[in-house]
Amino acid sequence: MSGKMRILTGIVVIVIVAVALGVWIIRGPGPLDFAGGTKVALADYRAGKPTGVPAKLEKASLIERGEYLAKSADCMVCHTKPGEKDYSGGLAFKLPFGTLYSTNITPDKDTGIGNYSDQDFLNAVQHGKRRDGARLYPAMPYTSYTLMTDEDVLAVKAYLFSLPAVRAKAPDNTLSFPFNQRWAMIVWSAVFNPDTRFTPDTSKSPEWNRGAYLAEALAHCGECHTPRNLGFALDNRKKFAGAITAGWRAFNISSDKATGLGNWSDADLISYLSLGHAPGHGSASGPMGEAVDHSFSQFAPEDISSIVAYLRSVPPQPSSDLPATTAPVAPASHRDGVTADARGKKMFASACASCHGWSGESPVSPMATLTGTWAVNDPAATNVAQIVISGTRRHTPDSALSMPAFGNAYTDDEIAAVANYVTARFGAKGSKLTAKDVAELREQTAE
Amino acid sequence: MHMATTLTINGETKSFDAPPEMPLLWVLRDILGMTGTKFGCGIAQCGACTVHVDGKAVRSCVLPVSAVANRTVTTIEHVGSTPAGAKVQKAWLEAEVIQCGYCQSGQIMAAAALLAATPNPDDSDIDAAMAGNICRCGTYVRIREAIKHAANGRQS
Repeated sequence: MSGKMRILTGIVVIVIVAVALGVWIIRGPGPLDFAGGTKVALADYRAGKPTGVPAKLEKASLIERGEYLAKSADCMVCHTKPGEKDYSGGLAFKLPFGTLYSTNITPDKDTGIGNYSDQDFLNAVQHGKRRDGARLYPAMPYTSYTLMTDEDVLAVKAYLFSLPAVRAKAPDNTLSFPFNQRWAMIVWSAVFNPDTRFTPDTSKSPEWNRGAYLAEALAHCGECHTPRNLGFALDNRKKFAGAITAGWRAFNISSDKATGLGNWSDADLISYLSLGHAPGHGSASGPMGEAVDHSFSQFAPEDISSIVAYLRSVPPQPSSDLPATTAPVAPASHRDGVTADARGKKMFASACASCHGWSGESPVSPMATLTGTWAVNDPAATNVAQIVISGTRRHTPDSALSMPAFGNAYTDDEIAAVANYVTARFGAKGSKLTAKDVAELREQTAE
Repeated sequence: MHMATTLTINGETKSFDAPPEMPLLWVLRDILGMTGTKFGCGIAQCGACTVHVDGKAVRSCVLPVSAVANRTVTTIEHVGSTPAGAKVQKAWLEAEVIQCGYCQSGQIMAAAALLAATPNPDDSDIDAAMAGNICRCGTYVRIREAIKHAANGRQS
């Protein structure tokens, strides 16, 4: 080998090693690597059945099993535009580099997935590959669904194919260069899609394994609750540490005592997941409200318990921007407590106080109590502003409560003022939102 | 799903069948025939439907009836039998607060709850308690005056 060749080979080797190292560093651990136990193939796992449907549906038809799994995977929320037919797509995801629209996954042959074979459907859900060979953007959480068994994915397909075909073509995406280059997702997928099915961990309980399958493969909690890395993939070094998704803050759901779920009781977690509310922890709104309404509230009780068992095992990840403790109840009189924003106070008096009370403990319902919630204790006031903009609604088997959307009634400046007042009065540290911040939050919301 | 519900309203025990999520306002007006409490906006933003639950002013249009089981409800029909309510109604008549009257059940209920908790309210207390009660006729000046009269018992 000549000297030049040797140098060239050396450079190539260095580049390959550097790229491999870079990929390894950026990719980080997989979603279940924290558990560290011994993994066995699903077929060899005898202690329990982590995949599929709960026992009561074991004998149900393929379509019924698929329905349970489709709800567990929460397909509908993203694949339905509000006011349109279920699963007919068209929901807009506003990203910093353009807008993506979800697709029609009804069995319509022209505009939906009516022509998908079983293999086509597996390719889309587990590998992020469309029937025509084009790559899906990872807004479709196939890097989570890839953990699903073929059997479960195909049950979902059977369910979707049992629904009425809806003719509805989603608008074209409006992504800017280079994000409009779908082929680049081949590289993204090669780096970030683990492309493996779920493997049980024999060092953990059957309940934990079921919870891991539900939370990772189906419910895809991490897609909102885990921060993203430079490549917009989940950074599992900070697993479940919380992140901003679609303009809402998905709070820390790691086992951190102060800022995660470490101090929530099992009863609180079960109640929050299945009803969207736990006393002293507020009510699920925005994307989590949708996840509860369309997904978690439909889970079998033993599946909710399994998810709780799994969440408990996720290592603590402190959120340094959140206070160590949430603020106590505010004074009963409007006179006492902080006098932050005079304009915010005026708005609170006229629009908010009748339901939320001056103390933050609602005279109407515990579901409307502000005290103790992360939303009012987040110094960024992200979710307070979002709930004011879009309102919220909770429906439990024995109650219903809704807050109107004020987004069209109040200016950005007014919404900032009331959010700053609310966080200062009921939270640990008041926010400093500006009208511009509120305008940006409006921009990010999916619609 | 309907279920038998029992509430204490205006000192009486009332039993009826209603879905648990039905707003208290509907129960009052449509089931119990107590039409003194008015429907305004239906989203807790105007105050016309204000009633007292355990002495506090709440908007009955958004309050699920299941949330008031075991709590004491007082409506405009009965507020005159509470000390603060009696004072407020008297002051209201003396100041001739009312114009069209639609919002006034709510205004009186809010004012009575204010006086029960804060016997001598100043302007900021009145603002904090009454800002959520809207009056299309603009009787706010007389409302403020009447609350002050009711507070110190002065004759107008």
